[in-house]
Amino acid sequence: MTLTNRVIACLDVKDGRVVKGVGFVNLRDEGDPVELAERYEVQGADEIVYLDISATNEKRSVFLNLVRRTAERLFVPLTVGGGIRSIEDIAGALRAGADKIAVNSAGVRRPGLLTEAAEQFGSQCVVASIDARKNHDSWEVHVNGGREATGLDAVEWSVRCALLGAGEILLTSIDRDGGRSGYDLELLSRVTGAVSIPVIASGGAGSAAHVEEAFRRGGADAALLAGILHSGVTDIHSLKRALRAGGIPVRIAA
Amino acid sequence: MTQISIFDYGAGNIHSLRKAIATGARNVSVESDIRLALNADILVLPGVGAFGTAASAMRGEQDRVRTALADGKPCLGVCLGMQLLFDDSEEAPGAGLGLIPGGVRRLRTAKVPHIGWNDVEWADAGGLAGANISTAYFANAYVCEPDDPSPILAWTTHQTSRFPSVVRVANTVGVQFHPEKSSAAGLAFVNNVIDELAQCR
Repeated sequence: MTLTNRVIACLDVKDGRVVKGVGFVNLRDEGDPVELAERYEVQGADEIVYLDISATNEKRSVFLNLVRRTAERLFVPLTVGGGIRSIEDIAGALRAGADKIAVNSAGVRRPGLLTEAAEQFGSQCVVASIDARKNHDSWEVHVNGGREATGLDAVEWSVRCALLGAGEILLTSIDRDGGRSGYDLELLSRVTGAVSIPVIASGGAGSAAHVEEAFRRGGADAALLAGILHSGVTDIHSLKRALRAGGIPVRIAA
Repeated sequence: MTQISIFDYGAGNIHSLRKAIATGARNVSVESDIRLALNADILVLPGVGAFGTAASAMRGEQDRVRTALADGKPCLGVCLGMQLLFDDSEEAPGAGLGLIPGGVRRLRTAKVPHIGWNDVEWADAGGLAGANISTAYFANAYVCEPDDPSPILAWTTHQTSRFPSVVRVANTVGVQFHPEKSSAAGLAFVNNVIDELAQCR
């Protein structure tokens, strides 16, 4: 056999609770992170991602406590992102129980952070998180939760992140986020065609068919889902059965 | 009570591994001094961090550890912990334990790192009678290349590369995947391995 395509459940966390918005705004409470993460593991989630969207210094310890509680009960990989600004933040999150760290704005501000993190902790735990918004024929990298344009081209920045030492790219289409109209396949295939590290498709999943086309047409190695899982549109077990029926290699939990 | 020591290189998450094996009649401690870690019944080399960081955390005690393991001290090496059983690594300068002759090489495949769930193809399950797993979670850019294939119990294939995913020498078992991240099947596997190693002391 071969490496399977991964289905990853993403939990946006604010003040210790799971929230989900549309286009990065309009947040809604979706439940307790640890409970949800465990439920998704049982359903067959290949990984869990926590994005700390409060990410203020005073809330940091609340979040790290949550990571600690989760790591004691979760036995699939946990990626932690949001508010990672320094090597100390990375070390702290790993010590709390994260397996991988997603670096977003801080990597744009100081690209050397990706390299230092890879050297110290290994590239397999460094995820470059890229939020891209379409602008005519290209995609521009945005930081600060999508609020700030950077002038960077998303495909070029992806290539640079891989060279700097990132072991994976978490590629989010801001335009598609929360819209359930499908992943941005054009953006996805441009990036997967340009880098040799795994790419996680994010933003826009509304159905199993969307996930299937992210793998088949977008070339993604993994697909990130949030809203359609939290609101019960589908569950990971059914989703994976549909993917397998469509010929996508996936792990089905026993 | 079986005493288990997880050697902490100071470079990552060891909570899950600790939680995964801290069941029943076991006392699991985390130790950043390799000489103290060696006092336990079973030494665990966890799979986090980079080769250079872990090699320097040994503080020149490689010979002492290798001798103990070669003499039959039970040990489980996970991912990077398996790679440390070898002589050296392309990832960084620094000496491994040299328990298994050979090196650690960067994956020469189109896609690196190898991240995700892949098959574990057993070549010789006899080396670990009580343990089995067929699909496990991997996160590695480097793979082990033993000079001699006899320690290899299982293989895994990523694109054009086939590499050892389980090795055993004396009472030391190395696994390239993360059983503590491989959900229920991984927990069953790692606990069976620990049970089997506990009987070897």
